[in-house]
Amino acid sequence: MKWILFFGALIGLSVCGREKFFGDQVFRINVRNGDEISKLSQLVNSDNLKLNVWKSPSTFSRPVDVLVPSVSLQPVKSFLKSQGLEYSVTIKDLQALLDNEDEEMQHNEGQERSSNNFNYGAYHSLEAIYREMDSIAGDFPELATRVKIGHSFENRPMYVLKFSTAEGRRRRPAIWLNAGIHSREWISQATAIWTARKIASDYGKDPAITTILEKMDIFLLPVANPDGYVYTQTQNRLWRKTRSVNPGSPCIGADPNRNWNASFAGEGASDNPCSEIYHGPHANSEVEVKSVVDFIQEHGNFKCFIDLHSYSQLLMYPYGYTVKKAPDADELDEVARRAARALASLSGTTYQVGPTCTTVYPASGSSVDWAYDHGIKYAFTFELRDTGHYGFLLPANQIIPTAEETWLGLKTIMEHVRDNL
Amino acid sequence: MPPRRQPPPASGPWGPRPAVLLLAPLLLLLALQGVAAAPVGAEGPEDSPGLQDAEFPSGLLQQAARAALHFFNFRAGSPSALRVLAAVLEGRATVNPKKGCQVDLVFTTDHYNPEVGEEHLGKCSARVFFRNQKPKPAINVTCTRLIEKNKRQEEDYLLYKHMKQLKTPLDVTSIPDSHGHIDPSLRPIWDLAFLGSSYVMWEKTTQSLHYYMAQISSVNQWKTNDDTIDFDYTVLLHEFSTQEIIPCRIHLVWYPGKPLKVKYHCQELQTPEEASGTEEGSAVAPTELNNF
Repeated sequence: MKWILFFGALIGLSVCGREKFFGDQVFRINVRNGDEISKLSQLVNSDNLKLNVWKSPSTFSRPVDVLVPSVSLQPVKSFLKSQGLEYSVTIKDLQALLDNEDEEMQHNEGQERSSNNFNYGAYHSLEAIYREMDSIAGDFPELATRVKIGHSFENRPMYVLKFSTAEGRRRRPAIWLNAGIHSREWISQATAIWTARKIASDYGKDPAITTILEKMDIFLLPVANPDGYVYTQTQNRLWRKTRSVNPGSPCIGADPNRNWNASFAGEGASDNPCSEIYHGPHANSEVEVKSVVDFIQEHGNFKCFIDLHSYSQLLMYPYGYTVKKAPDADELDEVARRAARALASLSGTTYQVGPTCTTVYPASGSSVDWAYDHGIKYAFTFELRDTGHYGFLLPANQIIPTAEETWLGLKTIMEHVRDNL
Repeated sequence: MPPRRQPPPASGPWGPRPAVLLLAPLLLLLALQGVAAAPVGAEGPEDSPGLQDAEFPSGLLQQAARAALHFFNFRAGSPSALRVLAAVLEGRATVNPKKGCQVDLVFTTDHYNPEVGEEHLGKCSARVFFRNQKPKPAINVTCTRLIEKNKRQEEDYLLYKHMKQLKTPLDVTSIPDSHGHIDPSLRPIWDLAFLGSSYVMWEKTTQSLHYYMAQISSVNQWKTNDDTIDFDYTVLLHEFSTQEIIPCRIHLVWYPGKPLKVKYHCQELQTPEEASGTEEGSAVAPTELNNF
């Protein structure tokens, strides 16, 4: 573990960027007297060997650590032997060690915010996600509660995390964060649960989220399509829809993001139950969709609705069901551009911004269009990483980087909502 | 694996020739892309203006670029020199409502493999002709060299040697696995599969449909001979904007420096009413093509 400090302090200074250390070794050389020190200095100062002293001899009793490039291993060993200098090889392959540490650090980063070892840098089962939601509620009882808003077709609970600093039963203006409506878009659920922990941990520390929560409540639904999610884990990784039965058809499920009451059954949806964009027999036919609609309508004070999808790296606003410009398009566009810039500021990930219909394709019956047409002005769709290389099968090591950059985009939007209540 | 950084699209100078027809949504998209879009006008005596054609999908330039790149990758036949679209710099479209649509464009590319250095941008110019909603667009494309020819052949040969060392039968089901992981030793298989899929994706692309390779769902045969790699696999293609997952069985034969040979058969899962406008609307007819 202490090697991490070594690297940070020493290698970081002398080497930035892409230098590699394949086969390079670190020798720990014992120097017992002034004579040995001068012999060692002779070795170290020879230009062609390119040695790098990590720890200089300050007293006779302290060993000297020297980084020896792989090409110099032989001559150095010969020299030390001929001069009678005692040494041991403490690092046999520096690059291998660095690579390992990298992995470990990334692994630890994922563990960082979790008190019970939920690894945020990995994909999880539905049960694990639900347990972690419960755990967050338990860790932050004043702020977070896990609320059941309904159930799925196969009778799985639909859980939402409610973040609220409001006292009593006052209905504060609220933000809805929706994720995992299309089950194969795993980065969406993964980003959502990371975001849940982030909101809870940063409240009281980060001024932005603190002031947001002082004025508004946040509702986060990490798995809007639990049946589909379980199906992607057990049967078919690329399943998209719900798992409802379509009478008279062998094909299962409807596209939950074509099932909302916003130009239902219009352009960009299908009436064929076998299609991946089948809109369902009628609007809100899918119980998963109806649960959210009923909750939001009953609440009556939502100001913002954000839906997380993958992939394509897009940040979009209404409409999907028509090319007609939404009344608030200019404002939404401006907010979205700022959010995309904030997102890109972390790792350079670029998002395209625009109205759904022309940025990606026409789509009717979508959640975001429904929200907008029902008075929730700040309605946005994120299509998260990547742009097609891995697509739905985004490697787990991209979860945390994705979640971290997306957080910056989400905050930008939420701050704007806070300032425009 | 670090994410691909997309470079900001450079706005190129617009040509002096009066350019052609672009629809309002298309202009909007181009503005978003930072592309210098030409104003609307008609060109050529035999091309009739089709400005009001509501069937025109937005993102036509992107469609054309993707098709051109699939074709380019296939023709190059080099799994170590695969390219992806970076940005469209400029483009224009000529519409003939009876025949189809021709797109001329210039775009930049990046290495497909994100591990290779990000700084090398290749530039391509292409002419793509889409026959009305029919697949297999006609393509003429040239690209500036990203990698020096000898180096590319060297890399291909290294890949070939590496592939020959893999133990057969390959002990693998899906690549990547559900968590997006590809074992580094299997990465060349993914690249070779992508090369073969490029042929398929080129042929299937239309004005409104495009594809990404989602997963290798099975490796049916992997034979390495002295002068070829014989690879029979099933790939899952993700189709936009239908969101369908199309399984395609692909059989390719490859050797470094030689043209790639591909045979394939894709399962068309939808019933005919879904495949509106395409000839191969039938769910039964196989699209078996052979360029051996």
